[in-house]
Amino acid sequence: MTPVVECLVAFLFGSVVGLLMQRSRFCNTAALRDAIMFKTYRNTKAMLMAMMILTVGFTGFMSLGAGHPMRFDVGLNTFAGLFLFGIGMVLAGACTVSTWVKTGEGNLGALWALLFTFVGMFLFSVVWSWNWWPPAPQSMTGEPNLPALQLGFANAQTLQEKLGVPAIVFGLVQFAVLLAIYRAILRRERAQHAKHEQHQMEAAGQEA
Amino acid sequence: MDFFRKTLDPVFALAAIAILDIFLFLLLGAWTVGGGETMMTGLMAQAVLGEDLMRIPFWNIVFPPHADYWKIYISFGMFFGAFVGAVLSKEFYWRLPRRASEWLMITLGGLLMGFGIRLAYICNVSTFFGLIPEMNMGGYLAISGILAGAWVGSLIYKKILEG
Repeated sequence: MTPVVECLVAFLFGSVVGLLMQRSRFCNTAALRDAIMFKTYRNTKAMLMAMMILTVGFTGFMSLGAGHPMRFDVGLNTFAGLFLFGIGMVLAGACTVSTWVKTGEGNLGALWALLFTFVGMFLFSVVWSWNWWPPAPQSMTGEPNLPALQLGFANAQTLQEKLGVPAIVFGLVQFAVLLAIYRAILRRERAQHAKHEQHQMEAAGQEA
Repeated sequence: MDFFRKTLDPVFALAAIAILDIFLFLLLGAWTVGGGETMMTGLMAQAVLGEDLMRIPFWNIVFPPHADYWKIYISFGMFFGAFVGAVLSKEFYWRLPRRASEWLMITLGGLLMGFGIRLAYICNVSTFFGLIPEMNMGGYLAISGILAGAWVGSLIYKKILEG
């Protein structure tokens, strides 16, 4: 595939995603923030649904050796980077996806957050050029590198290669865990709904 | 058209996105955001600094700026799709945060997101819709980090909101 075709496919994918996100008001930040702060799960359920479909789809194709899984070493920087990102997205009220989507709706605050995301990335490039950590992709080996606080690389495909069990088997186990979380949320919502109705009936009874 | 009048069920929307993402995974790689933004940062910095940018090793070694990097166009697509959706559903209007505390939070939030993405090599999209479904070890490290970060962020957010 030529780079131009790759860019066109990516643009088409992004456009459909942007449209569906705008029409559904889905927000990844809200999926985490609302579950933590308000115990509401509208976005959390959608995120889990996508994760379930993707787990089966990705590991299914990885069993056959198809697809393009991400390949880079992970380590302490993965945890620390997402920790900073998690604080940032709650403060900004949007993640990188919703900053683009909200900017498309005319939200100048989201555009401002996006501009400062670029500034944050530039600042990191300066810091990296001073301490050279985490290791650059060229020096990643896929093996643990403890002095550099790196654990190496492992995914469903490497498990398949090492253990001789198809990747989809591990995928189905993860699917079952995600489904259990999804069903626990549905049960919690039903309990919240029943409690709410009971309160309303009690309030109506007192008024009468 | 009903699609532009009613809010779409997010569970349905994300299921549709997941199916498209499987096709993208087969063609190019899973949906990701952050790499495109880094490339945009590099291209903008190059426009301002010219060849001086190459004196910062990161832009030589990790992310040499290229305008034909496919991840850039996912982000432009998301902006375009959301703009079309907002205009056709008459939901496009200019919005500005009113309070100084909101401006402070989004500035700080943006900086932390940008720095965090580059430190981890990934963002939340790759965590939930790429690494975890690929069962990459990094996905589990990332999800622990983002949950801890979102919890700390929520505490700070509450504190600022409560004044």
